[in-house]
Amino acid sequence: MSGYVEAGYVIALGSLSAYAVSLVVRERAARSRLPQSRGAATGATSTARSGGTGDQA
Amino acid sequence: MSRLDATGDPVLTERDDDVTSGAVAFGETAPAASPPPRAATHASRASVREDVDDATTTEAGPADGGAAPSAVSPKAMARGSAPRAARSDRVVRAVGTAALVGVAVTVWLGLWVTPNAVDFGNLVRLLYIHPPLAWVMFIAYGVATFSSLLYLWPRTRHARFDRLAGASAEVGVVFTGLTLVTGSVWGRPTWGVWWTWDPLLTTTALLFVLYLGYLALRKVPGDRETVARRSAIAGLIAFLDVPIVFVSVSWWRSLHQAPTVDVANGHLYVHGSMAWTLALGFVSFTLVYVWLMVHRYRLAVLRDREDDEGLDAALAERWAEGTR
Repeated sequence: MSGYVEAGYVIALGSLSAYAVSLVVRERAARSRLPQSRGAATGATSTARSGGTGDQA
Repeated sequence: MSRLDATGDPVLTERDDDVTSGAVAFGETAPAASPPPRAATHASRASVREDVDDATTTEAGPADGGAAPSAVSPKAMARGSAPRAARSDRVVRAVGTAALVGVAVTVWLGLWVTPNAVDFGNLVRLLYIHPPLAWVMFIAYGVATFSSLLYLWPRTRHARFDRLAGASAEVGVVFTGLTLVTGSVWGRPTWGVWWTWDPLLTTTALLFVLYLGYLALRKVPGDRETVARRSAIAGLIAFLDVPIVFVSVSWWRSLHQAPTVDVANGHLYVHGSMAWTLALGFVSFTLVYVWLMVHRYRLAVLRDREDDEGLDAALAERWAEGTR
């Protein structure tokens, strides 16, 4: 395979992965900054806090 | 949505209960009572409806001298929202899993299964990611523009459309950047240069800069409603370049090849396994867009709430100082 093809795939998929991870990290950080009383009422939130997949909010 | 407290001032409650956007997954509850300073401060935002689930909103409490709190307790609110939050999370996880599998299969087919092309040789493998990235770019800006229109239209004005527009534009900028980079990687071995001022490339680069400006404009401080309105107008202006990008290949026949998928004439220039792989690429990257959008939207909701919490805390502090 050409190096250009590999480079294109690595750049595209690597950048999308990095952006996706940054979104999940920022989302969790923002949630943790909110007062506990507002976030602790839901099962979804407690699932996320107990080590969910990152899809929970 | 605004309510009136005992003094007649509008009180905005901040609960966002948009199931489709994923915001319901937060399942958070409105404050038990809104102190008067908050009501006065938020009065300028009263014309913008906020996401409120009436069933879980607590009316102005005794602290306001108003009616007693609603019969809906926080525990009942939690019971109602948790199952919906769980459903929402399951859907988002399913979309994420499907996107991941789809992209993985696209890469496998694109790099190892599909044949080389007669004209482009091995470089044709970039075809399976470059057009799908561009496709998502168009979807993202389309969603951002439609949301901006809904926000500007008085009957549909709602904070969620402003968040949707901002989220979609940001995801669109990521995809535009990747479209430009993968196009450049294609151009170097094909045309001999990393960049050329081809009409399609130039208008796409302009689109990238326009939406970067849009995102920068959203960061300019101001009242939330003002920021949302000017961002929506800027979003509509930026979108003017999108149809130009779309038709530039047909308008100006230049260095960039004709579109692989000719939507206008309904013609497909790839066949067999190459066509299926390309189609899978379109579907997979669209799912990636949906997944990214949900998370970016949730982040926007959380940040808005964070701002409101900070404002509430500051106002409560001032209110306490004033009553000592």
